[in-house]
Amino acid sequence: MNKKQKELAIEVKGITKSYPGVVANKSVDFTVNKGEIHALVGENGAGKSTLMKILYGIEQPDEGEVSVNGNVVQINKVDAAIKLGIGMVHQEFHLVPSFTAAENIGLGEEPRNSNGLINWDKLNKDVSEIAEKYGLDVDPNLRMIDASVGVQQRTEILKTLYRNADILILDEPTAVLTPQETDELFQVIRSLVDEGKTVIFITHKLREVMEISDRVTVMRDGEVQGVSETKKTSVKELANLMVGREVFLQVKKEKSKPTDVVLEVKDLWVHDARGLVAVKGVNFEVAKGEIVGIAGVDGNGQTELVEALAGLRDTSRGEILFEGKNIEKNSPRQRRREGLAHIPEDRSNTGLNVRLAIWENLIGTSYFRSPLSRGGIVSMKNILRHSNELRETFDIRSPGVTIRAGSLSGGNQQKVVVARELSEEPALTIASQPTRGVDIGNIEAIHEQIVEIRDSGKAVLLISAELDEVMSVADRVGVIYEGEFVEWVDPSKVNQEQMGLYMAGIKG
Amino acid sequence: MEKFSFKDILVLIAGLFITAGVAYAILTVTGFIPTDIAKLFYEGAFVGQRNILNTLNIATPYILTSVATVISFRVGMFNIGINGSMYVGALYAAWAGYRFTTLGHLSHVSLCIFIGMLVGALWMLMPALLRVYAGVSEIISTIILNFVAVLFVSYMCNGPFRAAPIAPTTARILETAELKQYFPNSEFHTGFFIAVFVAFAAYFVLNKTTFGYELRSGGDGLVGFYPSRYSSYLGIPSDRSAITGMLISGAIGGLAGAVIVLGNTRNFYQEMAFNQGFDGILIAIIGKLEPLGGLISSLFYAALKNGGLFVDYKTEVSREIVVILMSILIFFVSAQKIVSSLERFEFVKKLDKFFSRKVK
Ligand SMILES: Nc1ncnc2c1ncn2[C@@H]1O[C@H](COP(=O)(O)OP(=O)(O)O)[C@@H](O)[C@H]1O
Ligand SMILES: [Mg+2]
Repeated sequence: MNKKQKELAIEVKGITKSYPGVVANKSVDFTVNKGEIHALVGENGAGKSTLMKILYGIEQPDEGEVSVNGNVVQINKVDAAIKLGIGMVHQEFHLVPSFTAAENIGLGEEPRNSNGLINWDKLNKDVSEIAEKYGLDVDPNLRMIDASVGVQQRTEILKTLYRNADILILDEPTAVLTPQETDELFQVIRSLVDEGKTVIFITHKLREVMEISDRVTVMRDGEVQGVSETKKTSVKELANLMVGREVFLQVKKEKSKPTDVVLEVKDLWVHDARGLVAVKGVNFEVAKGEIVGIAGVDGNGQTELVEALAGLRDTSRGEILFEGKNIEKNSPRQRRREGLAHIPEDRSNTGLNVRLAIWENLIGTSYFRSPLSRGGIVSMKNILRHSNELRETFDIRSPGVTIRAGSLSGGNQQKVVVARELSEEPALTIASQPTRGVDIGNIEAIHEQIVEIRDSGKAVLLISAELDEVMSVADRVGVIYEGEFVEWVDPSKVNQEQMGLYMAGIKG
Repeated sequence: MEKFSFKDILVLIAGLFITAGVAYAILTVTGFIPTDIAKLFYEGAFVGQRNILNTLNIATPYILTSVATVISFRVGMFNIGINGSMYVGALYAAWAGYRFTTLGHLSHVSLCIFIGMLVGALWMLMPALLRVYAGVSEIISTIILNFVAVLFVSYMCNGPFRAAPIAPTTARILETAELKQYFPNSEFHTGFFIAVFVAFAAYFVLNKTTFGYELRSGGDGLVGFYPSRYSSYLGIPSDRSAITGMLISGAIGGLAGAVIVLGNTRNFYQEMAFNQGFDGILIAIIGKLEPLGGLISSLFYAALKNGGLFVDYKTEVSREIVVILMSILIFFVSAQKIVSSLERFEFVKKLDKFFSRKVK
């Protein structure tokens, strides 16, 4: 390692930060070398975002000091951070949906003509130049409403580069990306570092840490658990540090013993929101006591298939038989009553109403039943007891159940959804991306719960874009490509490469 | 919804002090003795049976319109048209008040109130349907309907409902339709009790019933300003919730108009100028979109108004100063940035925790 690389871009000493009820950072020491890709990993609620918000001037530490490029600095507002060359892409994007990429990137810093009006040509040109330099594929004139998540993220990165950021903080950038988009992002990160930038990359996917980072810092419960060069550590070691106990990366389960068929789908056709055919005549069955997985790259009809099964989208042809009865005309409520639960892929606007309290989100499938309500009058006492029980069973980390669901971290929001759906002990659980944006310790817990449901003789349909997840949890896997099943496989008898080919639509 | 917290109270008190300071300055500059005016203001709002009753009388329609706002906003419908519902509710309550001649007191009053609420609700049917089935923003359609309401009632009391040849008014309602005024020195009437009842009923329905949960599940508050898919995902008919919420909101708006006619004016006339439907939005937001919050802020707002009227009546101070002061105060109370920035003070955090524990 040469001398230049050893210089510190960021040095944080003894940072402590508390929120009401939690200490989010406990005397944290954290250093980032100039020009490196530094991974910061930890479970949800470990305090990663808080630490980054302190660096970016959004939050003020209670104690401790921050140095940037060797100088002790006070970062008391975001402007100060930007002046120091720090840029941050938040977990939730901060974009104006009706603005174009260029308008978002230039917002507040637009180049002016001599007459004081905005020089749009220059802005577009500048944006295109930066985009090209770092391989960030963004059309400056595309409105953010119409942009994919990947493009929105690249726009956020451009926003920081446009403000001359040298140190980029990416807060869980891959949580929302498909595998392909993740690969593209990694290329961008590499080209940023090649151009002399420093990148802090937050994630809880350890495979990504191994793939991209130079060094890694692990946090748990607000404290730093360890720092290491990535080469010198392993996924296993990181996982144990993160969770604080031994983690089993492989799901432990017996062979499945399927019995009666619960769900039978026959020649099902479904259209997407734009009216295009998304699901093209699929056939499959799910039986009691088995977990059926659906693998595939996002956007191959999974969303539409799940919505049709859950009653959120009309089908155009075919049959959905639930315990032998056609449920195609039934409302979501009726389907739930018959024993179908649904963990949706979009948790923040479908699985939850983030404006409601946690308890209000936990009772969505049971509020109309005794003991939570009687004769239309709710019993707050019973509801709070029920909600607190779920909070404990499903390990939802929050100071209480009366705060808004929107104030929880993504992983904890997901646990609220999972808790509500699984507490109903449904005959069939449709779990769509159940661990997206959830950290390792909790992924393990959710997987265990899914296997438990199976072992209690219930059926599970698991849809996931994470190949590892489907392969390790499901008993039988169908690979979907462009709305059709390419192949059904036994996950213990097929390797990753073969699956990769199926997912690309290549058969046999 | 975020609940009231100690921070809010702190900001309210600070706002009151700053407003008082501004008032002091303005009054001194314009040659009045501020302490005298303050005394009068206080007296007008709170001292003596008559003034207290007048404050409650002024509060009556505000309580109703703020509750109407709370309900629509919390189902995710931004109903700006409560003033329109008030107008048509008032007009038809007056019509029912003189038209039905053979009823007893209770049945006649109830019928007039029912008709006022029904018409107020129907007035909201079109914007609700347009929103749910055609995606027309209810903000726009209800704003437009406010104008339509003014023109419509003015036509009706000039034309079909006109009773007197000299002025565009309806006939006076019959005694059997009157809401009782209890005291000779004030217009305070039974409508106040109705309004308080409605506020408590709304609180109960929204927070303590499964029906209220279903109404709120797709909305609940200003944050985000978009409906959540959560309710339809659960199988709660969210379209029906949105429509129901709008209709209830309109009905309570109609009730606000009806109680003014049945309790105060006893007829409907063209010059009747309502603005409680608009102020109700403000009051509801100050009350954190809680029905009981709306009740308390209405009383507060009415006290300010009545104090101002008293000062206006007793002195040369113009009534406009009250409007200015009220605006400053509301500015502070609704300044959320100030509220949240208070978090940086340790003692505020502690007090906040202390209070929230008590509430639980
Ligand atoms: N604004 C806030 N108010 C109160 N608690 C917060 C706030 N932001 C974060 N927290 C809490 O601080 C802890 C750390 O959160 P965070 O830094 O977001 O974790 P991470 O990014 O590692 O998932 C969590 O327990 C979280 O609930
Ligand atoms: Mg985070």
